[in-house]
Amino acid sequence: MSPPHRVNPQPLSLSPRQPKHPATTKMARSNFSVLTILSVILLLPVLSLSFSPDSPSDRRLLVLFDDLSLKSSHSIFFNSLKSRGFDLDFKLADDPKLALQRYGQYLYDGLILFSPSIERFGGALDLAAVLDFVDSGHDLIIAADSSASDLIKSVATECGVDFDEDPSALVIDHRSYAVVGTEGDHTLIAADDFIESDVLLGENKIEAPVLFKGIAHSLNAANNLVLKVLSASPAAYSANPSSKLSSPPSLTGSSISLVSVVQARNNARIMITGSLDLFSNRFFRSSVQKAGSPKKYDKSGNEQFVAELSKWVFHERGHLKAVNLRHNKAGETNEPAMYRIKDDLDFSVEIYEWSGKSWEPYVANDVQVQFYMMSPYVLKTLSNDKKGLYHTSFKVPDVYGVFQFKVEYNRLGYTSLLLSKQIPVRPFKHNEYERFITAAFPYYGASFTMMAGFFIFSFVYLYHK
Amino acid sequence: MARNIGRFLVLIAAALIYSSALASSIFQPISDSHRSAALELFNPLGGSFSSVEKTYEELRTFEVLGIDKRSDISTAACQSVSEILGSSSSTLKDLFYALKVNGILQCGIKEDVFEGVASRLQSVVGGASALLDFYYSVGGLVLIKGQTSKDDLYLSDAEGVFRSIKALSQSDGRWRYNSNNPESSTFAAGLALEALAGIVSLSSSEIDQSLISTTKNDILKLFDSIEKYDDGAFYFDEKLVGAREHQGALSTTSSVVRGLTAFAAVTSGSLNLPSGKILGLAKFFLGIGIPGDAKDLFNQVDSLAFLESNTVSIPLILSLPATVLSLTKKDALKVKVNTVLGSNAPPLTVNLLQVLRSGSKDTSLIESQELKFDPEIAVYTLDAMPKSVDVGKYTFVFEMVLHDSDHKNLYATGGRIRIPIFVTGVIEVDSAEIAVLDSDLGSIETKKKIDLAGENTVSLSANHLQKLRLSFQLSTPLGHAFKPHQAILKLTHETKVEHMFVMGSSGKQFEIILDFLGQVEKFFYLSGRYNVQLAVGDAVMENSFLKAIGHVDLDLPAPPEKAPQPPAQPLDPNLIYGPKAEIAHIFRAPEKLPPKKLSLTFSGLTLLPFLGFLVGLLRLGVNLKNFPSSSVPAVFATLFHLGIAAVLSLYMLFWLKLDLFTTLKALSFLGAFLMFVGHRILSHLASSSSKLKSA
Repeated sequence: MSPPHRVNPQPLSLSPRQPKHPATTKMARSNFSVLTILSVILLLPVLSLSFSPDSPSDRRLLVLFDDLSLKSSHSIFFNSLKSRGFDLDFKLADDPKLALQRYGQYLYDGLILFSPSIERFGGALDLAAVLDFVDSGHDLIIAADSSASDLIKSVATECGVDFDEDPSALVIDHRSYAVVGTEGDHTLIAADDFIESDVLLGENKIEAPVLFKGIAHSLNAANNLVLKVLSASPAAYSANPSSKLSSPPSLTGSSISLVSVVQARNNARIMITGSLDLFSNRFFRSSVQKAGSPKKYDKSGNEQFVAELSKWVFHERGHLKAVNLRHNKAGETNEPAMYRIKDDLDFSVEIYEWSGKSWEPYVANDVQVQFYMMSPYVLKTLSNDKKGLYHTSFKVPDVYGVFQFKVEYNRLGYTSLLLSKQIPVRPFKHNEYERFITAAFPYYGASFTMMAGFFIFSFVYLYHK
Repeated sequence: MARNIGRFLVLIAAALIYSSALASSIFQPISDSHRSAALELFNPLGGSFSSVEKTYEELRTFEVLGIDKRSDISTAACQSVSEILGSSSSTLKDLFYALKVNGILQCGIKEDVFEGVASRLQSVVGGASALLDFYYSVGGLVLIKGQTSKDDLYLSDAEGVFRSIKALSQSDGRWRYNSNNPESSTFAAGLALEALAGIVSLSSSEIDQSLISTTKNDILKLFDSIEKYDDGAFYFDEKLVGAREHQGALSTTSSVVRGLTAFAAVTSGSLNLPSGKILGLAKFFLGIGIPGDAKDLFNQVDSLAFLESNTVSIPLILSLPATVLSLTKKDALKVKVNTVLGSNAPPLTVNLLQVLRSGSKDTSLIESQELKFDPEIAVYTLDAMPKSVDVGKYTFVFEMVLHDSDHKNLYATGGRIRIPIFVTGVIEVDSAEIAVLDSDLGSIETKKKIDLAGENTVSLSANHLQKLRLSFQLSTPLGHAFKPHQAILKLTHETKVEHMFVMGSSGKQFEIILDFLGQVEKFFYLSGRYNVQLAVGDAVMENSFLKAIGHVDLDLPAPPEKAPQPPAQPLDPNLIYGPKAEIAHIFRAPEKLPPKKLSLTFSGLTLLPFLGFLVGLLRLGVNLKNFPSSSVPAVFATLFHLGIAAVLSLYMLFWLKLDLFTTLKALSFLGAFLMFVGHRILSHLASSSSKLKSA
């Protein structure tokens, strides 16, 4: 199945029409041909760069800054995106020409908000436009820092993440800070409490801790789409490091999330973090040693962490599609229009994962199919052949009605698969019941001996003398 | 737009202050990390650059940083240099940068090529009116002068050219790009100063001193527009609206620095620029850290190289390898003084003037003292921490004093330098105990000592009429009271509802008394087991800890009707995303049937009456003598009985495979046939028997 938002932009209807009056034909034709050529020239780059259901990765990203020097100070991150084939558009967040869509078409597939202190976006961009962008299935990265504005905080709140309301609070951790000779206030955190998920963070384990310096956020308990990817250690707390703590900090311990992700129901993906420096060249290149640990890493885990997570956010990983949902009676190949109760059936579906370049077979042992009518009658785990084909076989329940084959696959980090196919199930026909029941043999025996007796008796009765 | 740029500046300031000020505003000179970054950034595709300008930037950056990579690109670069110099159609800009590349690589260009270029540039200078034309052509001539043996390369009308460049200057010290364009630019001011410096060096005779002094005045005016960060860094930024291409603060500042240092180098006499501003400019470039962009890195390194060797004042950077000093490990205070590019400073003394407790502006904790210099590693050290310095946050105030009095005008030291220092140490934790008290009397019911250095598993129980008391003592290595930033008692219920309490202190003693009666509402009337944790931590406390103390079983009253509900806890993602339990359909059990054997036995038994019937018939002596003897009735009789047999077999077939409709169809034919033959044979039998009777 292809996600719903990846739609090919339709070419604008600028195709030439037949002019009605011969007198205007020549003029009109030349005008139209110019229009056509123009439209083709204008649309060519759009069409060639646009996403399609067949390649769900993002291509065009808009990066918004508070100040353009970030382009240089965070260049490793941007260069890694460029080398992965993304088309980055850098703009100041208060650029008066900002727009995410034109003529109803989105100009970008993803938005990176590296503008923590912006109070009002320029141009046509505002909170509602950002949320619409996500609602239409596009991806978003939000990085805040201690200067985070209400606007950025409210974007995050809409995504299910609440930043600490105290504007001067930073994440402080006196137990797992990064040991640096010139950083004494323990706000530079060496975090290594990652979520256990290969799809989010890649197959290679991130060995070195990730450097974090910024503000804390917590997850909205009512939102079960948001996940903590990097959590703070139990000893961390969110407070102003330079003022005395008079009341208990609002966020403490592992409930502080340093980096969170959201996968919306339309498979739009969002990454939220309270540290813009997490992406900076300085942190990427910095060596790291966690307090209390003798091991010193030459390079922090930031580069790997950010690269892997951005692969996920921009749909280079964890994007599934399911095709060729098939079912048939055991021993047959054609799909029947209807099953009879107690039929044996084979069910198969193919699932592929997008690797950023091609669709690769998806291998997992927890894909399940439901045979469903109001509630699942059969729920079975599918076995796979490591080439993307999942299949199983089971007996149709002895309940008739309109059933559905349902594949509901919701796994952490993967796009959710929801497939269903309707199929009616009928009871036995009158002649499909068992015909020779042994228990009835005495009755049959009696009848037939009776008949034989009658036959013999007819001779005796008629011809006896 | 103007508002935007204004905001933009503020934002740059904010960003830089954020990134550098949090690093306690210590500026580190250029180091090896710059070198590795340069090698990474200037990594051209296959060794060839898109432009000769980029080639120059790479070579210059490597030259300043002392990286020897010339051989990698010299062949390709020299080739393009000689092409550009040899061609008469190459642009001024390309000529300028080609000459610069040649200056570094020494490509061995022939003298006559230089002469051709020189005469071309001379003619451009004579007829130029735009600033960039002056800049490139004058700059080119200066480079040719440096690269050839020709000493007679002079500008014929140096003073005239000087005046025509000067004519583009504005009253605020900035320059215009050409006379038609009224917009003035700081970036252009840098270019103009560099060009003017070139003219001075190319001039055959002395330039009019009044011209030089008005230009110096322009420089001072330009420095009036300098901008400042809180950490002491100075920079220039382009205020130009609608510039052809927007120059950032870095390239603008670096242009001004190039112009300023070039102009100062060729003119005699002081510029009267405050050395603090030059130091501030150096701080600006160092504060950027390591840029991630090749152009930015070039601008940074190139400007620092000019500042390092300028004639106005050479900035000296005082840096500390570590600002976190451990009292327990007896870390020594180390101070380094370098020039901006990291080379050693001239002989000087570093004095520690004051040590101030941060937050209080009162008197210094120590007398002024001199740091000991170790010439081998070029580090100034303070042997032992002053006795009066305990753990805490301090501001150390340093001062550099140059030994040679001539150097005082040559170097910018920046006066008093304030650097925040964290002095850390192991805090002693003592007499920790936890107790449950009876509310009204305050008598101790249970009291347990706890060891906050080791593991504890205290188990207490209390009801809502009692109180919980936790107390401990903290003292610094010098025996003073210590107040950590984080002293939090955390109670966690089984349902993960957390309650936190900040521990108060008086002197060394920390104590908290939890009166459960007042807390029942806050505890959401949740009885049960609460885990008790104590977190004590501070930036200067080396043994910050988070300890599980044990648990308290609380017996709270039942909640009233309108009691607040405990907050919802986030769901465990594994619960949402894990696979579901399999469901197998349970089929309806088939009806119970007698065993097969029994059925077959009874089937056999049903044969018995038939057998009895046969035996009876034989016993009776059955005969068939009445069978018709004549042929026609015999045929009918045979057909009649075959018909009966067929009907009976049809019943058999009906059971075996036929359905009702086929059976009835066949039966209708058979029945008619049977009726016909039956009628004939029966009437024959009847007539023969009546004949017999009548006979």
